[in-house]
Amino acid sequence: MPDRRCTERSEKQESMSRFIFPKWLDAIRPLLLLILAGGPAYLIAMGYYGMWPSTRTKGYMPKQPVPYSHAIHVGKLGMDCRYCHTTVEKSSHASIPPTATCMNCHQAIRPESPKLLPVRESYASGEAVEWLKVHNLPDFVYFNHSAHVTRGIGCVSCHGRVDKMEEVWQDAPISMGWCLDCHRAPEKHLRPVEFVTTMDWAPGEDQITLGKRLREENNINPSTDCSTCHR
Amino acid sequence: MKNGNDTTTGRDYWRSLEEYSQTPEFAAAVKREFPNATPDMISENSRRDFLKVMGASLAFAGITGCKPAEGWPRWPEEKILPFTNRPEGRMPGNPVYYATAMELAGVGRGLLIKSFDGRPVKVEGNPLHPESQGTSDVLSQASILEMYDPDRMQSLMESQGSSGQYGRSWSEFSVAMEGRMARHRGGRGKGLAVLSEASSSPTLRRLRAQLQSELPESAWFEWEPIARDNERAGSRAAFGRPLRPQYRFDRAQVIASFDDDFLVSHPASVQYAFDFAEGRRMAPAGGGHGEQGGHGGDTRFNRLYAVEATLSPTGGMADHRLPVAPSEVESVLGELAAELLAAPGIDGSALGSVGARLGAFRQGNKHQAFVKQLAQDLLAHRGASLVVVGTRQPAAAHALAHAINAALGNVGHTVSFTEDPAGNDATHAVQIRELVERMKAGRVETLLILGGNPVFDAPADLDFGAALGQVDTSVHLTLYPNETTEAVRWRLPRTHYLESWGDARAWNGTVAIVQPLIRPLFDGRTPAEVVASVLQGGLPNGYDLVRETYQAAFGGPNGDGFEHTWKKALHDGVVADSALPAVNVAIDGGSLAAALGSFAPHEARAGADEIEVVLAQDACVFDGRFANNGWLQELPNTFTKLTWDNALLIGPRMAQEMGLADGDMVRLEAQGRSVEVPIWTTPGQAGKSGTLHLGYGRRVSGKVGTGVGFDAYPLRASENLHLAVAKISKAGGNYAFSATQDHFAIDEAGRKATQARLSSLIQEATLDEYLHGGHAEHGHHPPALPLWDPHEYNGHKWGLSIDLNACTGCNACVIACQSENNIPVVGKTEVSHGREMHWIRIDRYFRGDPDDPQVALQPVACQQCENAPCEQVCPVAATVHSHEGLNDMVYNRCIGTRYCANNCPYKVRRFNFFNFNGGMTAVEKMRPNPDVTMRARGVMEKCSFCVQRIQQVKIVAKNEKRPIADGEIRTACQQACPSQAIVFGDLNDPKSEVRRQEESDRTYALLDAELHTKPRLKYMKRLRNPAAGLTATHEGHGAAGDDAHHG
Repeated sequence: MPDRRCTERSEKQESMSRFIFPKWLDAIRPLLLLILAGGPAYLIAMGYYGMWPSTRTKGYMPKQPVPYSHAIHVGKLGMDCRYCHTTVEKSSHASIPPTATCMNCHQAIRPESPKLLPVRESYASGEAVEWLKVHNLPDFVYFNHSAHVTRGIGCVSCHGRVDKMEEVWQDAPISMGWCLDCHRAPEKHLRPVEFVTTMDWAPGEDQITLGKRLREENNINPSTDCSTCHR
Repeated sequence: MKNGNDTTTGRDYWRSLEEYSQTPEFAAAVKREFPNATPDMISENSRRDFLKVMGASLAFAGITGCKPAEGWPRWPEEKILPFTNRPEGRMPGNPVYYATAMELAGVGRGLLIKSFDGRPVKVEGNPLHPESQGTSDVLSQASILEMYDPDRMQSLMESQGSSGQYGRSWSEFSVAMEGRMARHRGGRGKGLAVLSEASSSPTLRRLRAQLQSELPESAWFEWEPIARDNERAGSRAAFGRPLRPQYRFDRAQVIASFDDDFLVSHPASVQYAFDFAEGRRMAPAGGGHGEQGGHGGDTRFNRLYAVEATLSPTGGMADHRLPVAPSEVESVLGELAAELLAAPGIDGSALGSVGARLGAFRQGNKHQAFVKQLAQDLLAHRGASLVVVGTRQPAAAHALAHAINAALGNVGHTVSFTEDPAGNDATHAVQIRELVERMKAGRVETLLILGGNPVFDAPADLDFGAALGQVDTSVHLTLYPNETTEAVRWRLPRTHYLESWGDARAWNGTVAIVQPLIRPLFDGRTPAEVVASVLQGGLPNGYDLVRETYQAAFGGPNGDGFEHTWKKALHDGVVADSALPAVNVAIDGGSLAAALGSFAPHEARAGADEIEVVLAQDACVFDGRFANNGWLQELPNTFTKLTWDNALLIGPRMAQEMGLADGDMVRLEAQGRSVEVPIWTTPGQAGKSGTLHLGYGRRVSGKVGTGVGFDAYPLRASENLHLAVAKISKAGGNYAFSATQDHFAIDEAGRKATQARLSSLIQEATLDEYLHGGHAEHGHHPPALPLWDPHEYNGHKWGLSIDLNACTGCNACVIACQSENNIPVVGKTEVSHGREMHWIRIDRYFRGDPDDPQVALQPVACQQCENAPCEQVCPVAATVHSHEGLNDMVYNRCIGTRYCANNCPYKVRRFNFFNFNGGMTAVEKMRPNPDVTMRARGVMEKCSFCVQRIQQVKIVAKNEKRPIADGEIRTACQQACPSQAIVFGDLNDPKSEVRRQEESDRTYALLDAELHTKPRLKYMKRLRNPAAGLTATHEGHGAAGDDAHHG
């Protein structure tokens, strides 16, 4: 009889033990509490960090092989963007100019400058100057320069005051939300097409009024469909 | 057995023989509820490993990744390398198009290649080319994959017997050849032989003539496994000189094809398919879409009769098809000739003595009903009818067909003749036999093999490989290392046509200049360059060689005239007015009688335990040369739906009699040589015959092609290259195929439901019913109501229409789509799991007697529903409706739940179960279309109506401040389609072609009445044009004969 009772009890204990936390858990209890309390905070912090403009490379300014200064060429000399970025109105790429474009002037101007050595080398050898990409969209995003420039979106709207940049940096966050802000309300940025490359252009009137008028006139209805940019 | 429901509307179709007879295999296949979720994905172990790996990858996520930009945490550094001097007119980011041509088996195909930043990415037809007219075929579409194939021959090698292989350079080769040539020149070319592929290149012809005049003792042979020698011999028999028939199917009202798959397998099939479709467009009258009936316009409608052993796309299109054993096809032609001769008003005098003998065919007329009806139809359409004979048929049959066409007054109307560029050359079989004899006799010391793979594909009785061993110095110029390369001394890499300068003649003779799209990726040269190098020493340049050829024709070497004409020829892709002129012909009674000397009625040649095996050109690998092309290997055959394999195709009755099931191995033995192959039952295959496609079973190929399928060449003997009468016996064992035919079948309930709906899925009518309005009785269903508010489409409203009257099932759209949209190849195993990725599948249905069925084909891509079931179940809005009615698939949002694929009633969504696009080499990475995102593992994809093309045209049109013209946007499938069965456009544009088609009374949508999905992809129902005397193809030909087993 006692034997049997004993067995019963141990069986019972065993079946109950399934519902009792094991002893070793006590040791890591503080750690678990920390995870429980800190986890959500960590996740929020990570999300916040992920959304931060600099995380999205806003302000990114890589060191280029040639310290080409937009401030001198555009700001001081007043060159039009399209002197170098010739395809901006016809192609998806604004395109970096071929070395020959640089040499048009620099065969005569500062032909000995050590800073221009890579350009001269490239011109002589036929090897490209290896510029670093500043505005780098993910590969599943298809952006087309011509579609924006010919509609009256100024260069400055996305690239900032390039005429004041010694070296080019990324001025806008170029996140999808930022794209959509404009696609939903292009009137905030539309300008007459002849001024798209003018860096310091200011509307003579209220931007929204002008923008709405230009929208009407040029039938500008930017799409927010996914396939507009993702194909 | 059940038979077709004879009412023409309740068409009783089935998809596969398994489904038809409800075999255990089919039951097992549908029982696996998720056939594409196979255990290897979700077994216990792998799932645990997966979680472990997932945990690890999360932990390491912060410390790995690409090299980040200096000082910036997230993105890898990317470089932009501009030109140093940009070519005029080049705009980075915009594609450039160049015209060129691809030569296949001695016939050029005019192409237009899209190039991005110097990389060719897509093959299109050349709109200025008279045969292409902007469309193209499967093989040229897929050829681009070969150029980027890392398995190609990459460098020169010299093999020195057992001591191994040594890398060499072209200059070393040139020096070595100069030494040898000095000796050959001494003997005026004695001991030198060239074996070339068939080539129409005027430049190569010029060099060949030069070689033969400088070294008259040298010999030049041509070998092409798929040649059209019988056709050439046939015209020589009929007219006394070798001529090439040029057909005008658009002018023919009645067409009879005797084993001629002119719609897909002919070198000019791209044009022929278009012309044929023109004859049955049943186009609504111009602007008359408001009219009652909608067919007030062109009601011209041709009728096609086909006599063939194996079901070909042409047979599938036929209004009446007569399956007969391959050797009997000529007898049916004889019966037809006899029938026609007996008709009043037919002048048989040209036939001379043959005429009387043809009477014998009339007495034994087994196919009386068919032949009588055909004869009657032909007689009623003199001058507007056409009898064509396939290249597998003997020369006598070709000659007789020419005589028939002449007697019917068709010559000059539906068929004309031009000189054959091959002229009076011996047939390829004779040429290669001559070469082998010379090699065996030790009369060949130096053999130059330009392309090709004779060790693999030369007639088996010649034993080319052994003879090659007798040659002291053998040279093989080849695109890929292959069986022949293994056996030669010098192995030279050949350039792909996209890397070469050259020229080629189309079927009608039009010359196209082949211009390179890219510098040779590997160290290759063209055949012309190699011949010139051997002849002249040094390493002549292909560009100069081609220019030299046209100097005289284009007006002097340095004159402005030359440069102007040359540039125009390059730009247009065709040399103006270079088509061969039609010649006047008359039947030459003497030579015709000689050719028909032994032409007599005969039974099928196969005796007991024998089978006639058709050795056929393969629609994918052709003669074996495309074996390493993954796109082609994975392309489902139009009718068998086999991928990655060939098989002995036999009819269901024969399979039943022999007790064979699909995949059972059989042994075929002919003339002491045998092969073991698995069988595949194919509806419509004539009794006691089988079809075995050539080009599989490659022993030496690249990673893709080696060991795929079964080699049929051992059955091929030089006296009859197209047909082998072989002893057949069971070999034991079963082989596992990967066929796509029953993919996406659901279960018994699903099958019944599908069956019940088939009459609405595949809608068709006879021409009579259509014209007299007895056809609109499909889809009785209570009107469906929308569950949601309908979308509004204020701007564009894209729609696609597919005319089932024109679709031949050639698969060009499938490959064009694969190329345009970067669709991966998944391999045989994954196909067997149902994971093929093609965005277009061509459904095919059979109806009636399995041994003589009627066929219906239907390309199915995403239907772009307005009420899309997929959109409603996606938890992350990765598939959403656009304002223009596209069902946008957003890859970067997709998390791979596959709910959408589950909910799609059309089963057109494809899931990346693995990273199918991964592991590309640097060379392969240059190939994908940069306009389309590469999809990674875990992402759903599907047809997008080529949204990248839509956006491109929209942007350009708006840049230029003009509306989009109808037809300006062309989807990849539409652009490729040879018969132009596909039309894309804006449904909101009342003048658009697609709108006109949508308003046609032939148009219907899949499952719309029932599910109210409102598809944007519409079908135009197929019309058949059966003769009054023969009601439908599967019951067409009298009760007598070998097909009297209906019921």
